[in-house]
Amino acid sequence: MSKGVHRFALLVAGATFFLIIAGANVTSHDAGLATSDWPLSNGQVFPKMVGNLFWEHGHRLVATTVGLLTIALAIYLQVRERRSWVRRLGWIALGGVVAQGLLGGLTVKMNLPLAVSAAHATLAQLFFLTTVALAVFTSRGWRQPAAALTEKGTDSVRRLCLIACLAILVQLVLGAVLRHSATWDQYLPAGLLQTHIAGAVTVALVLGSAVIVTLRKYSTEQYLARPAMAAGLLLVLQLALGVVTYLARMASPKDPQPLNPMISLTVAHVACGALVFAATIVLTLRAYRVLRIDRQAYILAPA
Amino acid sequence: MLSKRTRLWLGLIVAISLLSLASSCGGPKTETNENEGPSGKAFASKGDEGTISGKISYTGAAPEAKKIDTSADAACTAKSPNLMTEEWVVKDGKLANTFVYVKDGTLADNTKVGDYTFATPSTAAVLDQNGCHYRPHVLGVMVNQNISITNSDPTTHNIHFTPKNNPDWNQSQPNGAAPLTHKLARAEVLVPVKCNQHPWMKSYVGVLKHPFFAVSGEDGSFAIKNVPAGKYTVVAWHEGGTAGTERTMEVTVPAKGAATADFTFGGTAALRGQPSSLPMMSAIEFPMIGKH
Repeated sequence: MSKGVHRFALLVAGATFFLIIAGANVTSHDAGLATSDWPLSNGQVFPKMVGNLFWEHGHRLVATTVGLLTIALAIYLQVRERRSWVRRLGWIALGGVVAQGLLGGLTVKMNLPLAVSAAHATLAQLFFLTTVALAVFTSRGWRQPAAALTEKGTDSVRRLCLIACLAILVQLVLGAVLRHSATWDQYLPAGLLQTHIAGAVTVALVLGSAVIVTLRKYSTEQYLARPAMAAGLLLVLQLALGVVTYLARMASPKDPQPLNPMISLTVAHVACGALVFAATIVLTLRAYRVLRIDRQAYILAPA
Repeated sequence: MLSKRTRLWLGLIVAISLLSLASSCGGPKTETNENEGPSGKAFASKGDEGTISGKISYTGAAPEAKKIDTSADAACTAKSPNLMTEEWVVKDGKLANTFVYVKDGTLADNTKVGDYTFATPSTAAVLDQNGCHYRPHVLGVMVNQNISITNSDPTTHNIHFTPKNNPDWNQSQPNGAAPLTHKLARAEVLVPVKCNQHPWMKSYVGVLKHPFFAVSGEDGSFAIKNVPAGKYTVVAWHEGGTAGTERTMEVTVPAKGAATADFTFGGTAALRGQPSSLPMMSAIEFPMIGKH
């Protein structure tokens, strides 16, 4: 397999991240229904990009580009990739992006019902997860890993990382539901807001533990230490962004229209959440790739 | 098998998921209009109808209107270079855009307003998009009365009704397009209307089963005509405040006579309407009781 596949997978993951930013801008600008059409906007492929149509139609154009890139990636993998499960994942990614496009259309046609909009935002993160995973699986580090490391003791890095991934996914779902339950001119529902804050605490504890344990045990193993460090730093940034986003968002209902800093902070919070997820996925996949559990040591470990 | 610690974390995550689901399934509360009820007999004029009129005043310093940044659409900037917010339109202490309506009441013959059905006007109410804002800003219609939506701007708008008791409705309307027609089947005070294309555009439509409503003009005055003699609860609703502000008054309308209902906003209402730090601070300090 060539470097080209990995580079292309990285390109698709990067484009997907940009798509998440574009989608976050649609929600923050309250632009989701700037046109009642789908897939065309006001009956046109290239409408005049004024007002909030810039964000809504711009999002559709970026999404179309990501869709085309995903088709190309699936075909590229089919042709150049030897591992059948990676080829299969390429097709799964294509299915994901198609489903995501249909959900996007459905939420417009149904006037943004909470369940469909939140599902659209959640699937966006799952699709991003898939593209990041494809980038990891096609990397040289994955194909030619360093010698397997034996994990001793009771603090399983692999398990902690996996739990952190699940916790982040749940938190992303919570964030999506919270975000789509009130537009910029409405106050956020207190119950959901509290749940999202509780989720942030949970993620901080779980991911923080995973990062600390990884760095404590494998600080010299750059293959694990780098994504762990990245996840830790992004987590801190995300928590700080969460606080300032909350303050800006609580002030926005009395603004004449969605304004900065609310828009930029909220978009940054969504984007950073995706990056935290990506870093944790990379860490988790790598941990499962190189770490081997020494069950004997676990059983015989002194009390 | 999963370790005890793993199971604990997974349990925590599942608990948060369930909490989230429970919160999201709650849905918005629906507001009901007290005039809603079983269909009654058709209202027939007895010729003794009177008028409820009055002025809407505003005490204290009115919150200043804010300039709207319309730069996202050059057509809006060209037509309305100095577009201002219309949340509190106060002139000489008088408040415009207040929706005044009979909420409930007993007629002279001891029947209730809700006992009757009223003929839907055959003429459509007009809501125009002009200069990238709605004219009028507040509109009253009867249930099932047609609302004719026109676009007088050289740009595309989308008109989006976001009611709680009626179905959501969103339609794009390019410049030069024929008027759109919409009607609401259920009473609702008031339905927010917005344009997602130009998110500063806001309007409110009050929908009632009877014709006893009016909107205050720039001088704060209003008049509800042809009200049968009786005793009524009259409500003045204004959009200012976190979810609008209401004032209520009991009014007696004599046969063929006039009743006065003057309302005053301001003070507490003004504070609630300000984009001050008060709502934010309460949410920071007491997120448990954050506003919805």
